[in-house]
Amino acid sequence: MNGLILIEDFEKFKHGVELFLKPPEFSVGTTPSDIIYTEDKMKLIHYIPTVEKPHHIPILIVYALVNRYYILDLQPDKSVIKKLLDEGFDVYVIDWGYPSGTDRYLTLDDYVNGYLNNSVDKIRELSGLDKITLMGVCQGGTFSVMYAAQHPEKVKNLVTLVAPVDFDTDKGILNIWAKSLDVDKIVDYYGIVPGDFLNSGFLLLDPFRLMIDKYVGMFDRIECNPDDTTCSIRNEDYIKNFLRMEKWIFDSPDQAGETFRQFMKDCYQKNLLIKNEMTLNGTKINLKNISMPLLNVMAKFDHLVPNEASKPLNDAVSSSDKEILVFPTGHIGIFVGGKSQKEVCPKITEWLKPRSLGGNKGEKSEQQRNGRKSKEKLK
Amino acid sequence: MEKSSFESTQEFFDQWLNVYNATTGRLVEMPALGPAREKSEKMMKGFSTFVNLYAAGMDSNSNFQSVFMEAMQKVQEKTAPDMNGEISPEKYKEFYNIWIETYSETFKEFMKSGHFASDMGKLNSHLMDFQKYNREMLEENYLKPMNLPTKTEIDEINKELYSLKKTVKELTSQIKALEEKK
Repeated sequence: MNGLILIEDFEKFKHGVELFLKPPEFSVGTTPSDIIYTEDKMKLIHYIPTVEKPHHIPILIVYALVNRYYILDLQPDKSVIKKLLDEGFDVYVIDWGYPSGTDRYLTLDDYVNGYLNNSVDKIRELSGLDKITLMGVCQGGTFSVMYAAQHPEKVKNLVTLVAPVDFDTDKGILNIWAKSLDVDKIVDYYGIVPGDFLNSGFLLLDPFRLMIDKYVGMFDRIECNPDDTTCSIRNEDYIKNFLRMEKWIFDSPDQAGETFRQFMKDCYQKNLLIKNEMTLNGTKINLKNISMPLLNVMAKFDHLVPNEASKPLNDAVSSSDKEILVFPTGHIGIFVGGKSQKEVCPKITEWLKPRSLGGNKGEKSEQQRNGRKSKEKLK
Repeated sequence: MEKSSFESTQEFFDQWLNVYNATTGRLVEMPALGPAREKSEKMMKGFSTFVNLYAAGMDSNSNFQSVFMEAMQKVQEKTAPDMNGEISPEKYKEFYNIWIETYSETFKEFMKSGHFASDMGKLNSHLMDFQKYNREMLEENYLKPMNLPTKTEIDEINKELYSLKKTVKELTSQIKALEEKK
């Protein structure tokens, strides 16, 4: 009996190695899209609507500078973006790109009032609308909050997902660590802060599970029956999913130094944002300027952005239409976990639909909009 | 935290550091004299930068070692009763699960502590000082004499480029606004 178990375990390992020797092809971010605007390394991506008449108000998704936006479109059956499209929304995403030496002096103001503002303006121009929906994810959520506070006239709805705004908490390990970091020395030395530097920090959050158990678990899940085709398909799918996540986790862009400096010092160390004391290029960010409908989405078991860091947003804004949703998932699971497609996305779209109707001041006629769409298609 | 055998190494190092600071450390901090004073003063600075990094590394190692010991002891306590008799593959798997869970939880607890954060902060800060010093020496002693561009010079160009790009963007948007007014 014992011998059989040993042989079975060895077979699993051998089979896993065989699978890796002929790795299955996999891709990420496959939902059809066009790049409609570029500025330096930033790209504004427009996803091709899947319904004939999308909801009136388009959504711009703002992802974090850490890691890549395609976690929202990891694979067709785990795609927040596809779900939004299928629910009839017109979806745009900002791809911040990979900063290099020439970007070391980019500031937080350049990201928020430069790239993000220009993307919003581009969508407003294309849609003929004054206001759009901003959906900010993680650090992108913090950026969206900053933006909505400084440009409330351009934001119809604000949706934040696992976004930190109150950094003065000891519930998150990152919040504890950040206070002891000499950010100036890091930025002054690196200039562009390496993605690997941040990644090593993320791995330290739970080193044994993230560097050992994850891979042991992967081999353990391999099934071994070479003659069983469905088993081989299951194995291949499992490996593909594993590799997609693995790619995303370690696809970490470097960080523009000055932006990293201000974000770490003003947010994580001084907690200025929630106190309405943070400034972008000399202009104060007053969260009370946020009066549009707000949906603040959190993950109950978030180890990176604890709920205590996100919840205070709802008290800090002046919106009368505001809601908090907490799902029993983790920071990443909220986008790719089992509950994402079944619970998270439906709740968000349910909230957005009645708030994405027409009647926007300054909006172009249906004819004008249709004309624009035809031109876009011809391009 | 549990005591580890590493503690005696740490004690020895602390004593060495005290002696170093009282003797050689003071010598290398002395102002240099003579025609090569600027260069040798910079060179000597490297000693203290390295010693600071080494000391911070020792502190960190010592703490990690203690946590390892603590985790190991916990694992031993949990597994000792079941480890008698024949070791079967099932037992091995059970042992692995206990091991990974205990180590993961013990280390997570340690990482959450302010103690670890301050230690890592110190280590990181000294590492940055050391790296910066090494780069300066490389630039000073190799790149500049060979007339090769240095990181500092490239940064200056990057800053200039950033500033120019920003000005162009501002001017473009002003021109656009003026055109729209027409």
